[in-house]
Amino acid sequence: MVSAAEDTPMAGMGAAHRAWSRHSPRERWTRYAVTLLIGLAAYWSIYNIDIDPEWVMDAPVQIADLFIRMSPPDMSRLPSIASAIVETLNIATIATVLGVLVSMPVAWLAAQNTTPNRATLWLGRVILVSSRSVNTIIWALLFVAIFGPGALAGIIAIMFRSIGFLGKLMSEAIEEINRAPIEALEAVGASRMKIILYGIIPQVVPTFVAVTILRWDINLRESTVLGLVGAGGIGLILQGSIDTFAWQTVSTILLAIIAMVVAGEALAAWLRNKVM
Amino acid sequence: MSEPVSNPLAPPARRTWRKPSLIPNPALRWSLILLVIVYFVWALSTLPFDWNRIQEGLPRAARIFSGAFPPDLKRPELVFTGLMETLRIAILSTILGVGLSIPIAFMAARNLAPKPVYLLGRGIIIVARSFHPIIVAILFVKAVGFGPLAGILTLAIYSIGFVAKMLAERIEEINWGQVEALRAAGAGYFITLIYAVLPQIMPRQIGLTIYQFDSNLRASAVVGIVGAGGIGATLMNAFRRYDYDFAFAITLIIIAAILLSEAISGRIRRKLW
Amino acid sequence: MLKISNLVKCYGDSKAVLSDLNLEVPGQSCIAIIGASGAGKSTLLRCINRLVEPTSGTIELNGVNLTHLQGSSLRMARRRIGMIFQGFNLIDRLTVMENVLSGRLGYVPFWRAALRKYPQEDIDRAFHLMERVGIAHYANKRADELSGGERQRVGVVRALMQEPEILLADEPTASLDPKTSVQIMELLRSLSEEYRLPVLINIHNVQEAKEFTQRIVGMRFGRIIFDGLPSDLDAEAMDHVYDGVPAAEREDAQGVILRAAAG
Repeated sequence: MVSAAEDTPMAGMGAAHRAWSRHSPRERWTRYAVTLLIGLAAYWSIYNIDIDPEWVMDAPVQIADLFIRMSPPDMSRLPSIASAIVETLNIATIATVLGVLVSMPVAWLAAQNTTPNRATLWLGRVILVSSRSVNTIIWALLFVAIFGPGALAGIIAIMFRSIGFLGKLMSEAIEEINRAPIEALEAVGASRMKIILYGIIPQVVPTFVAVTILRWDINLRESTVLGLVGAGGIGLILQGSIDTFAWQTVSTILLAIIAMVVAGEALAAWLRNKVM
Repeated sequence: MSEPVSNPLAPPARRTWRKPSLIPNPALRWSLILLVIVYFVWALSTLPFDWNRIQEGLPRAARIFSGAFPPDLKRPELVFTGLMETLRIAILSTILGVGLSIPIAFMAARNLAPKPVYLLGRGIIIVARSFHPIIVAILFVKAVGFGPLAGILTLAIYSIGFVAKMLAERIEEINWGQVEALRAAGAGYFITLIYAVLPQIMPRQIGLTIYQFDSNLRASAVVGIVGAGGIGATLMNAFRRYDYDFAFAITLIIIAAILLSEAISGRIRRKLW
Repeated sequence: MLKISNLVKCYGDSKAVLSDLNLEVPGQSCIAIIGASGAGKSTLLRCINRLVEPTSGTIELNGVNLTHLQGSSLRMARRRIGMIFQGFNLIDRLTVMENVLSGRLGYVPFWRAALRKYPQEDIDRAFHLMERVGIAHYANKRADELSGGERQRVGVVRALMQEPEILLADEPTASLDPKTSVQIMELLRSLSEEYRLPVLINIHNVQEAKEFTQRIVGMRFGRIIFDGLPSDLDAEAMDHVYDGVPAAEREDAQGVILRAAAG
């Protein structure tokens, strides 16, 4: 592992001295340092974490036990599960559409080349960051307090969360547009609104569509947990079944969620191919 | 241009123009539009939109908000322990999750794994990806009890869903020539993996690991809400005790921590690439 | 008639791009502006329709002073000035017809622009002009499906849709192959005659400039140093415009520019 190669003549002789090593010394030290760092972090975490080792030993048994209690899936509540899945789907779709509508003007504010002035730029950015920083479930808690339990609170929560994601990617798309057609429209004497209509929108539409489809796919997953805080969707019966230890119903619900998410992902992929 | 010079004042022939539609077939176009409208009308009509409830809710929201202002960091030691626990959960779940992701990714790579193994690997990834971490956390809390262990297991599953998927896709894109070269030299299966496949996927693996650590940190603040330990549990306790100003202070600290870790991990990943 | 007097343009504190420039374009004519890159040709054209804000001086088009117009009166003035670009500057994802009709954006109300419901006379004019330059059969094609020469024809038609009082062409042939270049230059010359338009063409290719225009303006260091008939542009004049300026005189010229910028 020592690279003695420096003082070895480059002729075919002296092969006995030569050592080979894959990495340069500097690379090697970085590797050691990173490995050491990870090791220390792991040691610190394990040493300080508040977990009883017996629980860890017991965990596989407990998890297996839960699995046994879950099987076979109980199909008797399938109709109400199906309608809850449809509600989840509606929440995700409506929230995505509303989110897109709201995030377009926000993206316009948050893009450097379209925002009217510095104050509006910061307003746009603050909206995006605060929406992205607060998790859906926390938004849902807030809106359940306002609107009461139900799908409405869920839709607004998902919408609020989506604005940050959609708005950020959309404002980046606006910032990346080609300036040349805009210059031509200015030369034609078009007003600001007409320039947005003809110069900016046609250029950003493909990105907007792709981002919307992506977010719909994410929202489908997000809206499965809204019910846990009372904001509608499949999560509501899931929580209910868990609380009443109806584990065989729980497994049916889990299967239904997988089916919905997989179908949604396939549809999203198909739409993306179709539109692009 | 040999055309005759035309008189610009002569009235040209009348002709119409309409923007060509995205869907040329009018029947298909209108039925799609109708379908979308009907769907949204129906979906909106199923919503429980109760004005009275909202009117009651608004003062309640105002109470929550006024209770939350100004944010008050009453028990900083609780927040500190919570944050440290979140950090530990994120570290351990990343190590566990990424460690498990590597073999699962090899199982789920079409070009390396035999068909039944491939299907099993894909199945694990699909299941891990389908469930929101909060659902997984609830199940683990039921199975192994409240606390950080449930959090670690949850986020390990969450990591598998993302890291194993991306890694499997990378493995499917590897340069096959290097694998053939080693097989031709008589190397066994594992030697081939280590010398021909691992070096090709390593850079992606490092980037994914850093990204996933960042995601786990973020998600561990959330799974705490359902009892899986960390700062999320601290937040939920404050919320349950109507301690809104403390809850708001914790939320702000979580946001700051997430922005900080996002900035750091973004920097490291930019350096690597 | 276009009248530019004492035009100065500086970017920030750096040296002037245009310094004390005077130019008159009376009535219908096809004029080439030649000069090395960085001589200020492109800035000059963009000052005329105020895509670039002049530092001082005046620009008058048919009796209207363009230099102090703001907001809607600036847009009203711009819609009478057609511009053709080196990179065509079309909206790639829209159809040829929409690009052509966008030349009317200074005239039509917003709802017509949004719904693509342009007045019948605009549609007629669009077809007429597209037929004139040979692109009418592409009306419903996307602009990015066309070849370079065809795209530039769309650019020309868009400018003519404005019912312009003058055409500005900024290196209209620089992105085209030689054969297409000649076609576009020929087109600009004949349109200038047909519509009795003054046409100002920035151009690198002196050969094309001499062949297709009636007057040549040579620029260097932001000033006009040659103005005459194509036949007057001899080797000596060419040297003067392109690289014949000795170092001392060059510094002198810059001194003048700096003084003009300060004043």
